[in-house]
Amino acid sequence: MGGLQKKKYERGSATNYITRNKARKKLQLSLPDFRRLCILKGIYPHEPKHKKKVNKGSTAPRTFYLLKDIRFLLHEPIVGKFREYKVFVRKLKKAYGKTEWSSVERLKENKPAYKLDHIIKERYPSFIDALRDIDDALCMCFLFSTFARTGKCHVQTIQLCRRLTVEWMNYVIASRALKKVFISIKGIYYQAEAMGQLITWLVPYQFSHDHPTDVDYRVMATFTEFYTTLLGFINFRLYHSLNLLYPPKVSWTLKQSQMKLSALSASLARVVSTAEEDEAELDQFPVDGEDMANMEAREKEQKQEEAQKKLFEGLKFFLNREVPRESLAFLIRCFGGEVSWDKSVCIGSTYEVKDETITHQIVDRPNIDKQYINRYYIQPQWVYDCVNAKIILPVEDYFLGVTLPPHLSPFVEEKDGDYVPPEKLKIMALQRGEKPAHEQEDEEEEEEEDEEEEEEEEEDDNEEEGDDGEEAEEKNLKKMEEQRSQGKSLSVKVTAGKVKVENPARLEQEEKAEEKRLAIMMMKKKEKYLYDKIMFGKKRKVREANKLAAKRKAHDDAEKSKKKARK
Amino acid sequence: MSSFTEVRPSVLQVAPPASVQHKRRRNVFLFPQSSNMAPSRRTKRVVASQPGFLNLKSSSGAAGLPSIRRKRVNKNKKKNWNKHSDINDVTEFLEDVRHQERTIGGLLSDKSDDNLFFLDVGQPKKAEQKVAEPVDGKKRKGKAVRPLRIDLILQHDSLVPPPKDVLAYQQPNAKKLRRIGQKAEQLAAKGVVPRRQKQLLNRRPADRTAKKAVTEANNNPDREYYDIWGQECESKDTADPWYLQQTGKKRVKRPEKLNEKPSVLPAVEVIAPGGSYNPDFFSHQALLQEAHEVEVKKQKEEDKIERQLAVNKEHIATEETILREQVEGLVEEENEEEAPNEEEEGVAVGAITVAEKKTERQRKKERAYKVKEQLRQANRYQNDKRQQLFQLRSIKTSIKQEEQETKDKQKQRKAKQEAQKAQPRRLGKLKFKAQDMEVQLSDELAGSLRQLKPEGSVLKDRFKSLQKRNLIEPRERAKFKRRLKLKYVEKRAFREIT
Repeated sequence: MGGLQKKKYERGSATNYITRNKARKKLQLSLPDFRRLCILKGIYPHEPKHKKKVNKGSTAPRTFYLLKDIRFLLHEPIVGKFREYKVFVRKLKKAYGKTEWSSVERLKENKPAYKLDHIIKERYPSFIDALRDIDDALCMCFLFSTFARTGKCHVQTIQLCRRLTVEWMNYVIASRALKKVFISIKGIYYQAEAMGQLITWLVPYQFSHDHPTDVDYRVMATFTEFYTTLLGFINFRLYHSLNLLYPPKVSWTLKQSQMKLSALSASLARVVSTAEEDEAELDQFPVDGEDMANMEAREKEQKQEEAQKKLFEGLKFFLNREVPRESLAFLIRCFGGEVSWDKSVCIGSTYEVKDETITHQIVDRPNIDKQYINRYYIQPQWVYDCVNAKIILPVEDYFLGVTLPPHLSPFVEEKDGDYVPPEKLKIMALQRGEKPAHEQEDEEEEEEEDEEEEEEEEEDDNEEEGDDGEEAEEKNLKKMEEQRSQGKSLSVKVTAGKVKVENPARLEQEEKAEEKRLAIMMMKKKEKYLYDKIMFGKKRKVREANKLAAKRKAHDDAEKSKKKARK
Repeated sequence: MSSFTEVRPSVLQVAPPASVQHKRRRNVFLFPQSSNMAPSRRTKRVVASQPGFLNLKSSSGAAGLPSIRRKRVNKNKKKNWNKHSDINDVTEFLEDVRHQERTIGGLLSDKSDDNLFFLDVGQPKKAEQKVAEPVDGKKRKGKAVRPLRIDLILQHDSLVPPPKDVLAYQQPNAKKLRRIGQKAEQLAAKGVVPRRQKQLLNRRPADRTAKKAVTEANNNPDREYYDIWGQECESKDTADPWYLQQTGKKRVKRPEKLNEKPSVLPAVEVIAPGGSYNPDFFSHQALLQEAHEVEVKKQKEEDKIERQLAVNKEHIATEETILREQVEGLVEEENEEEAPNEEEEGVAVGAITVAEKKTERQRKKERAYKVKEQLRQANRYQNDKRQQLFQLRSIKTSIKQEEQETKDKQKQRKAKQEAQKAQPRRLGKLKFKAQDMEVQLSDELAGSLRQLKPEGSVLKDRFKSLQKRNLIEPRERAKFKRRLKLKYVEKRAFREIT
């Protein structure tokens, strides 16, 4: 019908994408440089919807970028720096080849370098944006700070990472922002809350590196380069939000490995005295009815939080040489405790073992020779569990040589009806302020009973959530039947009648239950069907949880019997 | 002179008395121009006849007497003077003087007798030599002092000192400079600072900060940070934005779309509760179960490939099949099938026959039938349409059903898309491969934090997380490619042993 013939691949998705190699050529960069640029600028490859169209008919697997992204990269001033650096390397090589040492020196002095500040500002226009993306930065910095000088990455990078991580930890300590800790087989997970953002990071164990071969160190180093810049700026801002001096006054001249600890034991210099910025109380607004309850709840919550922040206040810890010093010192100081360690292990210790005021000594060996009578000797897990439970747990379970209760993950949040391990139930009970009837003798049995009680409680709870009181009645009936069957003969008796006391609360409850039943009756067929389905799902969950609990009990029993047999 | 027992000339010949020599020389230079005789012979004769001149090469004088007939030459032209005047004796004489200067450092005739002669007292006594030697020997023990012959040859042996380079000692504008210096001294004594120096002093100190402004490396551990989000107004913003844009000084605005993350996955995925160092029994079992399932899946895939690659037993040659193959073609079988084949061929040939032509009547009939059929179809269609009025309810339900189906499909597609968002995309040659799960078996679990053995590598975990979130494409490590092939050769020594 007239007009020019349309050619293939000249419009549509084929023109929106560009292959990696083409992009590289367009920018006149080598592949490593291109990769570095993309990482720094936050431009990632893209998988097109219709690969064959984009690939101009070929189905070969290729890496694609959006053409607009690459066009955007063309304006980046760093590209010029990359080219300069290439020339610099070439000149340096030549000078080395000719053994012209003076020119080598001169070239090295004028080594081209670039800044990432403008990229940070561009990628994170506001501070909160940056804070949301800090998880990665923290993980990477903590990871690199544990590296040894193996030549896998630049020594300066490692030192910078150490500095930044120490600064971050000091911020967390100063702001008491730590929420959760989890010791996993991989490393230690921490979670803190800064400016309303939950920040999770992973710290590897010391000396646990076997450098894997299938990891591209160059890529990782580039990410780290970017993240160190980001973390530095964030630290600056966070310190200033607390009226702290940045950079903190820590003697950097100390040996790097020791630096961390010594920094952790010292407190930071403040710009303004602390007294005035302490706890601004929630403003009171005149509110009505329903909001009042909410407000009260919130206030209570806040009070609780404040109390949690001072978890270890007044306690004095001493770390034995075999425990992970850095992590524990960080935790204890996060919650206001005092901490010290042996002078010979590391610098920065503030008091010695002989100090009479020490309340807890953290030990990780089966027994210890010389014990002071006025302090607890506990295993390190106690500290972690306390932090997660947000209360000071009873120390008995964590004494030396005692088999520890499991270390539960604080990152799991159970919904109602899920299986909750009994240990957690116990902790929850403690949190509610219920005192477990603990006595030294018959400890095990007591424990069992406790668990049972709790399980029953849980069941009861579930049933209450379940629709009606009928089941409860049925249960009562069943119990009676059982009692009867146990008694074998039905004892017929006439007892004196009792005055039925009308319990208003109970009446109210009954009324509610009645209402609910009626509501169910009034439901449409379709809705009823849905409702039944939901209820069925809930019940199934409960059933499964019960099953697991029963299994657990069986397992525990088996263990116990084994123990007894051994004894 | 004769009073000594023996007198030897120290150089070559006996030197004449100095005063005579000088006079002679002056004569020699003047003579050729004034005389009319053949200059060479005349000078020679004259010089030789002079008393006191000592000729070094005495032979030349005796043998050099020309016996050739004189040639007549016009002497009124300078050209002829140059051409035919004999200057040999002059040059010879000059040469001789130069030679004397070189070898003795002056004219022989100028030297005093003490310089030219020495007293020969015969061989020195050997005893003295022997006493002297050990002293020398001690000194020489370190290294032989005797110079090399080549050094001797190359030594500067002329006694004429090299001419002084006057220019090297001269200073241009020496006088002027001296005067300026003197004046400056005078002024300094008075305490007056010259204008130039004043200017220098008044000038601002050079920008030392300029050197500091060189950007330091990004990984400098002492680098400084500042409030990057606080400072709102930069100096650039005050300038005309249009100007900045046109001159390329304004940064291109980053598109909003780039700030979206390519994956919805969180940066840090916390390990399952079973991964605790001291896990709860059930959560640990759950994690083990998960790991087990992953392993089973892998095993299944491997098994599948193995099964597919396995050799089919039916394809393996048995004795029977081998025998049949060997005898193939040797034993003749009666072909009964050939005969029917031929028949078929005959039929096939017969089938290609031209269809008979239709008559006019047949065509008419066909046409009428066609029209009728069309009419019938149209009627039927109309009828059906009318009938649909009564099927409204069923139609409605069917429409509803269809709509429901499309809705369901939409929902499914949406859900699938959502699920896809969390999945790693295919970004290159390789697909994303999740790393092995970190699991410790029940007997590997440590009783205490001290005995804990870390599982897996955090570095790898981070790297895989980046890949999983589509930040980088999964890649294989670049393999080292040898440009030239290696050739292995046993060394000779090694070969001898083996």
